[in-house]
Parts: sequence; C-alpha cells; structure tokens
Amino acid sequence: MKEEFGPFFEPKNVAVIGASATPGRPGNDVIRNILANEYRGEIYLVNPKGGEILGLPVLPSIANLPDGVELAIIILPAKDTPQALRACAEKGIRHAVLSAGGFAEVDQGVKIQEELVEIIREKKLRVIGPNTSGHTSTPHQFTSTFFPLGKIRRGKVSYIAQTGNFATHTMKYILTGEHFGVSRVIGLGNKIDMDESDALEYLADDPETSAIVMYLESIKRPRKFLEIAREVTRRKPVVMLKSGSTEAGKHAAVAHTAAMAAEDRLIDAMLRQAGVVRIWDYTHLILAGKAFSMLPLPKGNRVSFLAPSGAMLVVLSDLCVRLGLDVPEIEPATVRRLHDISPPFIRMRNPVDIWASASVHGVEFGYREGMEAVLKDPNIDAVIPILMLTEDTGIPSYDFILDLKNRYPDKPLIVTFSADKKYMDECKNYLEPLGVPTFPEIEQPFEVLSSV
Amino acid sequence: MMNLLKEAMAKGRATLSEYDSKRFLSSFGIPVCREGLADNPDSAAAEARKIGYPVVLKACGADLAHKTEVGGIALNLKNIRDVRKEGLRLMKIRGCETLLVQEMVKGARELVCGLTRDPQLGPCVMFGLGGVFTEVLDDVAFRIAPLTLGDAREMIGEIRARKMLDPFRGEAAIDQEILGHVLVSLGRIGLEYEDVAAIDINPLKVRPDGKPVAVDALVVLRKG
Repeated sequence: MKEEFGPFFEPKNVAVIGASATPGRPGNDVIRNILANEYRGEIYLVNPKGGEILGLPVLPSIANLPDGVELAIIILPAKDTPQALRACAEKGIRHAVLSAGGFAEVDQGVKIQEELVEIIREKKLRVIGPNTSGHTSTPHQFTSTFFPLGKIRRGKVSYIAQTGNFATHTMKYILTGEHFGVSRVIGLGNKIDMDESDALEYLADDPETSAIVMYLESIKRPRKFLEIAREVTRRKPVVMLKSGSTEAGKHAAVAHTAAMAAEDRLIDAMLRQAGVVRIWDYTHLILAGKAFSMLPLPKGNRVSFLAPSGAMLVVLSDLCVRLGLDVPEIEPATVRRLHDISPPFIRMRNPVDIWASASVHGVEFGYREGMEAVLKDPNIDAVIPILMLTEDTGIPSYDFILDLKNRYPDKPLIVTFSADKKYMDECKNYLEPLGVPTFPEIEQPFEVLSSV
Repeated sequence: MMNLLKEAMAKGRATLSEYDSKRFLSSFGIPVCREGLADNPDSAAAEARKIGYPVVLKACGADLAHKTEVGGIALNLKNIRDVRKEGLRLMKIRGCETLLVQEMVKGARELVCGLTRDPQLGPCVMFGLGGVFTEVLDDVAFRIAPLTLGDAREMIGEIRARKMLDPFRGEAAIDQEILGHVLVSLGRIGLEYEDVAAIDINPLKVRPDGKPVAVDALVVLRKG
C-alpha cells in the first residue's frame, strides 16, 4: 500500500498541469496552497503560455517536464484531462490527482471517464478523482487542494471524504473555528481508481494516522471494505457518516428476509461487523475529529458529569440513556468526598450537582474538587463538567482543568459550558490548543463520547 | 443434500417444499420439528401416532406457497378423528398434493432467521422477531456472511425485543449457543450453495426449555 499510494502523500516533487496566473482560478489557488504549506519538494508548473507564476517558472508542455516527477495535479477542463493524463504517463509519472469536474453529469463526461479508466489500466497508474477537491498530507507539508486554505494545521486524525465539501469549506471551518489539525485528508471524488477501501488500507498502516473519520455516499467494493475495516478497527478507531440512509430501497421478493433487506440496513450491518462506528450528523465529522485529536480513548461507557443546575442533571441523564452511556453509582469514598466539599443540606451522587459547593466555596474550588473526586473513581471512564462562567460568580483560572487532565491522562475529560459566551470562547481558546476539547452545546460532549 | 437442490431445479421449481427445505437445513445441524409426509388422511393418522399428539396438519403442493391464506393449516389436532377430518378438508384445497404432519411445538416465542443475497454484499443473514407480524414489527438485524459466533451473538442482542430471549412467562432463556449456530450455518449455506437464492425460517419457535426449532422453512432457489 505504501508503495502504491506513498507518492500521493509523500511526493518528492509535483507537477501542476493547468497552472494559472490568474488569482482566484483553481490552477492558481492550488499553487498558493502548496506554497503556503511550505512544501519542500520541487514544484513544476505547466501552462502553454509559459512565463512565471508566483515566482516559479512555467513549462510550456508536459513533454518539457524533467524525468522523475512523482505526482501530477491535473487541473484542466474534463475534455482535456485524458490527453494530459496520457502525456504524464508517457513522461513516467505514475500518480495523478484529477481535479476537474463535470464527468458523471453529461453523456460526454461518462465517455471521458471511461477513457480515463482505460488509460489508468493501460499505463498502470494510480489516480485520485476525478472531480476531487484534492488531498492533503500535513506531515509532508503538502496539499493538492485548490480551495484557498492557507497553511493547514497538522494533527493525527485523517479524513476520507466522498465530497468536495469536506476538504474545502469544512476544512476552512476547522482551521478558523477549531484548534485541532489533520494528518491526511483524501477527497475521493468519482473514485475511478482510488476508492475508500484503498484509502482506508493506506491509512491503516500510516504511522501519522491515529484515527480515521469518513464521509461516504456509496461503498464501491463493500466486501473488500468489510475485510479491510474489520482489521483496521482493531488498531485504530474509524467513524463514518454514510449518507442516503433513508432511501426506501426495499427489494420486492418472495422471501421475508429479502423483502426486509433494505440497502441501508445491510450497510449498517456491515459497518457494525467491521467495527466502524456510524455517526449520523455532518457536524459530527468535526466533533469526532476534535475528540480523536485530544482525548484518550475511553475504557468504557461509564460517565460522570457535573452540572450547575438540576434541570441539566435530569435532561443530560435522559440523554445518556438515549445514547447508551451509563451514569453509574460512584464509590462511597467518592460520595463522602463530594459531601465534604458541599454544604450539608445537599445530597451528593452521580451525576454531580456541583452548584451548592461552587457557590459556597467558589467556582474553581467546587469544580476542581468535584472533578477530581469522580476522575479518581474506578467506576468512571469519562468526566464532563458543565462549567458555569459568569463574572458575578467569578471566572476561574482554567489551569486547574489542564492540571486535572495531566494528572488523569487515561480518562477523557471534556468541557462544556453555561452562561457567558465571551468566557466560553476564552476558555475554548485557552484549553483547546493545550489539548482539552470543549463544546459550546451541552449535549455535544455526550454525543461525541458515545461515538468514540 | 446437493441432490435436493438439483432435483428441484431440474423440475423447474422456484423453491424447495417445506418438507425438503427442513431436510436441507437439518443437514447443517439446524434443528427442525419432527414431521412426516402422508398421501392421504389415513396415513396422516399413522404419522401422527408416530410423532405423538397433538399435531399440526398442513396442505402441501408445489404451487401452494401461502398456506395460511387458503386455510391450509390445521393446528393442535389431538386425536385420530381430528386428523382424518382435517386431512380430508385439506386434500380438497386446490393445489394440495400431500399432507405434512408435524409435532405441535409448544412455546410462546416466535423468531425469524433467514438468508438473502445482495448484489454487492453477497449472502446476508437475518435474525429477528418472527411469526405473522414479522414485517409489521420490523424488528430484525442483519450480518454479512461469513458470520463468526461473535457476529451472531451481537446481532441476537441487537433486536428491540431482545428481552424476549431471557426467561419469559415461565419459559427458559433461549439457548443462545444453538441460535448462534443456526445463524452461522445460514451464512455458510449462503457462501457454499450458489443455488440457494434465499432462505426463510419463520417461525423459528422457542420450546419452553429454551431450545429453538424451525417450524416452517422455505428455501428459494436460484432462477434458471
């Protein structure tokens, strides 16, 4: 796999076929992205007009490329793509990213796509796309994405996405609104060559990938996928958003079994068998990435949470039941400790009603001591404080949370908030770069925990 | 067992008969109810004596797929007179060729198991809540063949009505080992026998001691 797909992720050099001097054109933005990511290999640009783009010389044709180019990014109209791919192959380039769209939509596009498949087979090439928004490999400081992203933050979670949306808009959000980074991002496009099974197999052995998040609209070789995923999930967590789950798609048939075998039901069964965790919301592609980037994997589903309000305790307990999370009883010693830090009138248990303690002894003291008590408890696998942040009651120093994370590194600690948005943002911006994930909505930590 | 399939296909049959379906399944260790075929009401009575009362009598024929709809099933027959009387009635049903005499399996719980083929995923095994409400209740789980015993155990635990598998109204918890084996075997049949297009075991009844047993079964054959 490393030999097959390595040059996509660790190219020694790259040629951009269809390089453009016009800002705002994909053929220009792709070069800006490569430069912004401080790619260290040689960059060759090809455009019949020649000249110079962004300070780099432009070669007039593919034939002018030197020998030994490993990867081509072909960013041309669909109709010109086959010829360019063939010319690249003749130049000895075995790997190509085909960015152009408009393949599956029109009759001619289907024909062009068939022609590409033929070239790939004949010349024994490996291809991502067509109709892909590109791919990214931060450990190698490389990207083929043409959506203006600038420097892409490095992380340890990899994404496989069968949508142009992810590597573009969603990446932009992650880079501007979140603090975690990515390792490899693969936009599969129309999957005429590299499909999700290939991508997953590559990431399985990739030391730069610790978890895999996928968005798929279809699975090209489901039995192969099952075989690979089953093996991968023993070593790395894989979560997937698979769209099209509400398609009726029931087969008309004599037998009950066949009649009840709706397509999504079988895919769902296959994912369960493969150990792939299914997620259902687009937002969770981002939430899961954040969780995998910052949290240790929980040992089990037993959660403790600390809330400043009775309503939250009740509502979130209901949520846990719905999500299959357990809110177990805690050890007598833990209960005693919680009583020690609270006024005498209140009965302490799991989940933890922390406000009495916080209002009497201070927000920082209440949350710190309460969180430590449940983190210590052997019945608890993960802890979620709903942190109350208002000036009236006092803004705590967020360092106590970091300190707890460092002293209990094996238990996921996820922060969510109540009250003042200004301080929620401040807390997020302080904690997340230091490895504690926060979520603005109180349900999200629980949803995330149930999918990792 | 290959012969059962080949013979039926040679005759242009779309399915194995209920009796042959169960013989086929039984050869893979899938437990089936005690039963025998009879050409007429008298030999049905003789079969019933061998099996032991009470018995069930079913009208059988190549074109008689939906027995319930034509009144082709007589349940809980307690003596020779009832068997003769119902036997005569069933023989008059259009399409009835023979009579199937079965033990009346006790037990309140009815499950369903089956095999289907997906064009992409290949043979898939189903397990769920059985009986006449199977499709209405729609409480089933699937797995892709081949199944490990672990896969079988997981899918058994996946149905909403899984509590029915625990001790239930004075009946023992279901024997999960036998049930798991049934599901694994269905997957194996799917992988090894191309001629089998689909299988329904509905109901797979649970005896009061927890042992599951196929009471009705249908093996659908590959077309052409």
